[in-house]
Amino acid sequence: MSNTAEVVGSVPRVELSGIVKTYGGVRAIRNADLSVAPGTVHALVGENGAGKSTLIKILAGAERADAGSLQFNGEPVSITSTTDALGLGVQTVYQEPQLFPELSVAENVFVGRELRRGIRVDWAAQAEQMNSLLDTVGLDVGIATRTVGDLSIAQQQQVSIAKALAGEARVLILDEPSAILTDAEIDVLFAVIRRLTATGVSVIYISHRLDELFRIADVVTIMRDGETITTRPIGELTVREIAELMVGGVLAEPRADVEATRGDVVLQLDDMSLAGSFSEISLDVRAGEIVGLYGLIGSGAGEIASTIYGMQRPTGGRMLVRGEPVVLRRPSSAKKRGIHLLPANRSAQGSFSFQSIAFNITIGELHLLSRIKGWVQRRAERDIARNFITRLAVKTPSERQPISAMSGGNAQKVVLARQLVNRPELLVLVEPTQGVDVGAKEEIHRIIDDLASEGTAVLVVTSDLGEVLRISDRIIVIRSGEIAHEFTPDATQVEILAAAAGETHGSEEPS
Amino acid sequence: MTAVAHERASKPIVKRILPPPVTGQELVLVGVIAVLWVLLGIFTPSFLSPSSIQPLLVSVAPIALIGVGMTFIIITAGIDVSVGGAIALCAVVTAKLLVNYDVPLIVAVLVSMVLGTVLGLINGTLIAYGRVHAIIITFGTANIFQFFALRVFGSSTVNGIPSTLDVFGRGESGRTLGVPHSFAITILVVLIAWWYLRNTAGGRHLFAIGGNENAARLAGVKVQPRVVFAYVATGALVGLGACFFIAAGTSTLDQGVGAGRELAVIAAVVIGGTSILGGRGSVIGTLLGAILVQTVNSGVTQLGWPSQLANLFVGIFIIIAVGTDLLRERARRSRA
Repeated sequence: MSNTAEVVGSVPRVELSGIVKTYGGVRAIRNADLSVAPGTVHALVGENGAGKSTLIKILAGAERADAGSLQFNGEPVSITSTTDALGLGVQTVYQEPQLFPELSVAENVFVGRELRRGIRVDWAAQAEQMNSLLDTVGLDVGIATRTVGDLSIAQQQQVSIAKALAGEARVLILDEPSAILTDAEIDVLFAVIRRLTATGVSVIYISHRLDELFRIADVVTIMRDGETITTRPIGELTVREIAELMVGGVLAEPRADVEATRGDVVLQLDDMSLAGSFSEISLDVRAGEIVGLYGLIGSGAGEIASTIYGMQRPTGGRMLVRGEPVVLRRPSSAKKRGIHLLPANRSAQGSFSFQSIAFNITIGELHLLSRIKGWVQRRAERDIARNFITRLAVKTPSERQPISAMSGGNAQKVVLARQLVNRPELLVLVEPTQGVDVGAKEEIHRIIDDLASEGTAVLVVTSDLGEVLRISDRIIVIRSGEIAHEFTPDATQVEILAAAAGETHGSEEPS
Repeated sequence: MTAVAHERASKPIVKRILPPPVTGQELVLVGVIAVLWVLLGIFTPSFLSPSSIQPLLVSVAPIALIGVGMTFIIITAGIDVSVGGAIALCAVVTAKLLVNYDVPLIVAVLVSMVLGTVLGLINGTLIAYGRVHAIIITFGTANIFQFFALRVFGSSTVNGIPSTLDVFGRGESGRTLGVPHSFAITILVVLIAWWYLRNTAGGRHLFAIGGNENAARLAGVKVQPRVVFAYVATGALVGLGACFFIAAGTSTLDQGVGAGRELAVIAAVVIGGTSILGGRGSVIGTLLGAILVQTVNSGVTQLGWPSQLANLFVGIFIIIAVGTDLLRERARRSRA
C-alpha cells in the first residue's frame, strides 16, 4: 500500500471553510465548514436537502463552490475538477457501485489507470497490487478474476473501495455505503474502514442510519438547511440529540383540517412480505384517511408501495382491497381495483417527455374516453386536461404544451392529474414532492388533502419529515423492512426520525 | 473565474396535443420529392409520363404498406428485420398455391395474410413475453423464415404463376383510372393507420410504450399485448405485400424474393421521420419515405447511372434523417 501512516499532528487532512453554493437562485449551501483529521472516520449527517451531497460534490470536484476556501494538509488548494480531487487523493465511493458488470474485478479496479509495460498491460504487476488491495478491503484474493456482475452488492461495494484505493487515497468519501447492505455486510464494511483509518486514510462517512454512526464514527458534523450546525466527537451525543440537531427547532405543522370523516377500510395488508425488502407488514388505510409511511433510503417503504401496485408479487402474507383478498399481477390489475400510484421517479416512471400535457394526463384512462365510440373523444380529452390544469393550478399556457418544457412542480402535478382522472379508491404516492419547489409542494399537499376529504384512501410514502407530519392522519415508520413504530400527527420530527434511524423505542441510549 | 452564461435563444415551443397532422419533416420530404421529380422530369423527359410514374407507384406500394406496420413497431422502440424472410415465405407459399391449386384471388390473399400474421405473432410473442431485444429475435426469425421459404422453393424457381394476382400488378388490369390498385390500397391502409395512431387508445399506447415503457406500464397500459399487436399487424401487411411483390413480377418467382426488403422498409420508416428511439413517428412520413427511396432507385436507372449510386443516395438520406433526429433528441435532453 502506498498509504503509509503519516503523522501530521493536529493539521487537518482536509479543511473546507465558508463554503457557499447556489443553484439557480436556490442556496444549496449557505455556509459550511468541515475539518477532517487524518486517520479518522468523520460522519456527515443531515436531512434530505440539508446540503450533504452538494458539499461532498464540491470536495470531489464534481461541483465548484461559489465562495469558500479549501486546505489540504494545511496547504491552500483549489479543486476545480474531479481530476484535481483525485490528484490530491480524494476518492469517492457512491451509493450504487459504479462498476462495469461485464469486466473482472481486476479489470474494474485498474480501469483507466492500467499498469503498463511498454504498450502492454502489465498483468503481473497488477495482480500483485491486486492481492494487497483485496486483502485491505477484506475480499478473498481469488476473487480478482471473477466477473463483477456475479458478485453480491456488498462485494461490489468492496470492489468499489478497492478501486478507490488503487489510486492514491488520502480521503475516502463513502456516500450512504450501508443503505444497500445487510447487517452482516455492514460489519464487514466497518472492518474495512477501521483497517483503512489505521493506515492514516481519512474517511468521510455519510449515512442516514444514525445508530450505526456510534459503531464506526469518531466525529460527527451535522448539517441543516445548507449550514454545518455543529461538529462534535460522537461520544458526546445520542441518537436523539443528533436527530434534534438535524431537524432543529422547527416544529411540525399540524395538518390543516380537523378530523376527516373515516370510512371503511379500503386497503389492508396482513403480514405482507417481499423477500429482501420488507417482512410481515400489517397495516390498513381507511377511506378518507391519509396514512404516512416514513422510511429512510433502503428502509423498504418504497417497495411496499410498488408491491401494493402490483409491480412485484409479495412473497408472503396477503392484501385485501375493501375486505376482499386480491392478488395483483401487474399495475393494470391494480388500476382495475381502483388503486393508483404516483411513482417516485417522475422522469423515469411517470412522464412521456415527447408528448403534450393532455397526452400525459389522459394516457392512463383512454378506455374511459373511448368507451362510447371506440375511439378517443378529443373534445372530452381536451376538457379533462383543461379541467385538471385549472384544478391543480398547473402553470401552462395550453394543454398542448410538451411536458418536457415544464418545471418539476408543474410536471409532477400533471403526473398526479393522471391518477385523478378516474377518482381512485386508494391513491399511493411515493415521494410526491421530491424535486418540487416550495409553492408547488404546498399545492400538492392541498390536493392530497382535498382528495382524502372526498373519500379516497391515501397512502403517502415519503422520506421527507416535514411532509409526513404535514399531511398524515397516522404515521407509520418503516425501518429495515419492518414497522418500527406508529405515531399520531402530534409526534415530533425528532421522535419520528429517531424511530426511523434506529433508536430502540423507549430507550434514550443507542443500542 | 469566468462565468460562462449558458444562454439559449428562446425558441417558440411547438404546441400540440399530438404531433401535428403533418410534421415539418414530412413537408421537407414532400419538397425533396418534388424537387427530385422536377429535376428528373427535366433530365429524362419520359420520367413524368404515366408509363414511368405508374410502375414507380407499384414499386412503392409494398414498401410503404409493410412500412406502416414497421412504423408501429419502431414507435414502440422495437424493430423487425425479419420482414425480408417473411415476404419470401408468404410469397413462395402463395405462388405455389396459385400454381398447384389455381386458387381464386381472395383465397390467395387470405392465405398469405394469415401466414404473415402467424409469423408476426411468433415475433411479437417472443419479443413481448421473452423480454429479449427485438433485433435479436427478428434476426433469428429472419433466418428461420428464410430457411422455410427455401424449403418450399425446393431447388427450383416457381414457374407459370397464373395471372390471378394481376389486379395488383403493373399491367392494365392492375389500374383503375390510371391509379395502380396496389398503391390505392396502400394509401387506404396508410390513412386508416394514421387515424388509428392518433385517435384510438391503442394507437396512443404505442407512442406511450416507445416513449417510456416503464411509465406506460405504471399508467396501466397493457404493454405486452400492444407490442404483440404491432408485430402481428406488420405480419398481416407482409402477407398482403408479398402478393403485391408476386403481382409486380413475372410469372416466375425466384429465391431472391424479399431479399433486402427489410432494409428498404426500415429506410422508408426512418427517412419518414419516425424516431428509431421510439415514441415518435408517423405513417404519412413512411409513405413519403418509401416514395423517396423508390424515386431514387427509379431515377438512377432512368438516368442511366450505375445502380449502386442509388444505395449511396439512400444511405445519405438515412444518415441525414436519423442524424437530425438524434441531434434533436440530444438538444432536448440537454435542455431538460
